[in-house]
Amino acid sequence: MNQNRVDEYRRNFMTTLGGVAAVAAVAPSFVLQTAHAAGEVAAKPIDQAVTNAKRWGMLIDVTKLTDGGAGMVAACKKEHGWGDEAHSADTQKAHWARVVKVTDKLTQNSFSLPVMCQHCENPPCVDVCPTGASMKRADGIVQVNKHICIGCRYCMMACPYKARSFVHETLQDQKPHSPRGMGTVESCNMCVHRIDEGKLPACVEAAPDAVIFGDLNDPNSAVSQAMKTIGGKQIRADLGLNTGVRYHGI
Amino acid sequence: MTSKFSSVFLAATLAFATLLAGCSKAPTEADLNLATAKAKADQCVEPEDVIRTKHMDLLMHQRDATMIEGIRTKQHSLKECINCHVSTTKQDGTPLHYGDKEHFCTTCHAAVGQKIDCFQCHADRPQIDQDPNYQHTVGSAAGHHFTQGVTAALAPTAAEVQMVTQPQQGAAK
Repeated sequence: MNQNRVDEYRRNFMTTLGGVAAVAAVAPSFVLQTAHAAGEVAAKPIDQAVTNAKRWGMLIDVTKLTDGGAGMVAACKKEHGWGDEAHSADTQKAHWARVVKVTDKLTQNSFSLPVMCQHCENPPCVDVCPTGASMKRADGIVQVNKHICIGCRYCMMACPYKARSFVHETLQDQKPHSPRGMGTVESCNMCVHRIDEGKLPACVEAAPDAVIFGDLNDPNSAVSQAMKTIGGKQIRADLGLNTGVRYHGI
Repeated sequence: MTSKFSSVFLAATLAFATLLAGCSKAPTEADLNLATAKAKADQCVEPEDVIRTKHMDLLMHQRDATMIEGIRTKQHSLKECINCHVSTTKQDGTPLHYGDKEHFCTTCHAAVGQKIDCFQCHADRPQIDQDPNYQHTVGSAAGHHFTQGVTAALAPTAAEVQMVTQPQQGAAK
């Protein structure tokens, strides 16, 4: 039953690709021009709380990712220091972001895309968290407050994107800006420490030609304009989560 | 029999004496790499008595403000405590971690038997290669410590003065 549902999803997912590809053929130049900016982040004063005036999001143009997103994932690893857990089995390893290869069974057409926390407007991981550790910040960033995370991993089960992972082993020499430790769940936090400083997320910086980052609430921001022109697809849009990470070319 | 007993007794005494000698060799200040911390004692973000008794409350407050609201002031930030006070290596050049007696936090926590879990997740030493302002002096370009100022923090606010000078309602009855 479950397998059938997945297949149904894949079929719907793949049948929409034709339409997207057609749009991509018509208007590829727009992304080329705007993507050089790769988005903008205004530094907020460090002593003021974030507000819901902004909602951070990004548009990833998969057609311009020559490596399928591997460079973005590598940048994330370097920024947050995950991926070299020595004592964890492969299935236990951290995956803040991962490259997912999608293949159409009928045509054998395949492509890769980076999948990380999609920063939903209505995040299922926040719904299920028993302690409030899984949280959405006012500016739309979904993250784990590891101070109160008890490691129950309910959010990992709830996330439809498999975005969260669990730290299984004692860690040492973490990055000062990215604390992570045994017994807590972790995931992409859109490089919240960099955004608060007015910098772009590490993965966006690693793929400036393919990713546009910015404020989804501002209709004039580069990311909003790009999505208005060429559209931005959500993965599993049928779930109605209104993700902050959108894709072009899937 | 007697000689055997005495020899055993002698050995036990010797062992106990060795044990005692080992215990008595508590880390002296010379063993502890406290030069950095001591040099900066009068430059701390709060007066010494305040930071000694209240640092855990300040850190707890800051932690929620940073995590939930994105407030990243540096005055009470754990990262900046570490950056300012902790050396990256021991005196022999090996990496210094929380739990080593030279670690700035451990020096007190070990003495008072305090167990903390901050460093299960947080970095317990600065990363020099990524932080050009490592162990910066106060007043440098990164002079973040005194956004409010120690002197300003020392002066009681009007409300605090009022609390002290006027007896609380109901307290006098």
